[in-house]
Amino acid sequence: MTVAAAAGGGTQVEQAPTVEADDEPSETFVTESPWLVVVWNDPVNLMTYVTYVLQKLFGYSRERATTLMLDVHNKGRAVVSSGPRERAENDVSRLHRHGLWATLEQPG
Amino acid sequence: MIGRRRVVRSRRGGVELRIPAEERALLASLLGEIGHLLDGVPEGASAVDPLLARLFPVAYARDADAERSYEEVVRAELAGHHREVLAVLARTSEATHLSDADADAWLGALNDLRLVLGTALEVTEQPRDVAPDDPELGRWVSYTYLSYLQGELVEAMSGSLPPPAPGADEGVPDDPWGEPPGGLRWDGTDRPGVT
Repeated sequence: MTVAAAAGGGTQVEQAPTVEADDEPSETFVTESPWLVVVWNDPVNLMTYVTYVLQKLFGYSRERATTLMLDVHNKGRAVVSSGPRERAENDVSRLHRHGLWATLEQPG
Repeated sequence: MIGRRRVVRSRRGGVELRIPAEERALLASLLGEIGHLLDGVPEGASAVDPLLARLFPVAYARDADAERSYEEVVRAELAGHHREVLAVLARTSEATHLSDADADAWLGALNDLRLVLGTALEVTEQPRDVAPDDPELGRWVSYTYLSYLQGELVEAMSGSLPPPAPGADEGVPDDPWGEPPGGLRWDGTDRPGVT
């Protein structure tokens, strides 16, 4: 079991400008904006199963996983994790192994 | 079907299965019916049997090129995973006790069977009345039974989860698209996020 979302990555989008000491032009490093992993509502997966999978894959509390599951059920989707593309892809593939409808999306 | 629980948490870890013989026979028959479909799954990004579509969901709903590359990478592994959990169910179909690992595989296998049956039956969120002479009655009974059994297994397995990871709940990002309607939508029939 992994805890891919535990680090909460993806909130730092932009690094502070770095000024070189030798008076070269300063550079701004902009990292790629984070990818979001979205789970979509579907008519087959049991609500309790979706909650279980979110707890198992991401280490969420039962309460948090239940809230996300209810968002999926009521709103049609929920963002369940985020991060660099590679990690988001990995999370999507883990969700697919469990039969959930998951995509990765980059807002903007 | 109602009455005695089929799955209970075991004191020695894992779960105890109290599944009557005729229900085990039903599971074996569903495995036989559905398991072989996975043998024909092509490697790479080629289309799979429509009945298996739910076992191979789309990752990039809006980017066909990225989706193709993704499928090239993950298809074989994902197919292997589905075969593996179904093989565990087949191997332990007569078991009265399952380890946590095997019980987790059962969860995956029961879910896979439900996803394929649900696709075949075109299940929607609306409850459906099935007439006694409906030619799909048998499949509906199987689907309902699988839902029931999986529900019990989820409940039993929830006790096996470790405590929440520290800080994990704070890591959930906000949904930037706002409340539906608007933003990302999915009609649930074709591809997510595409309207």
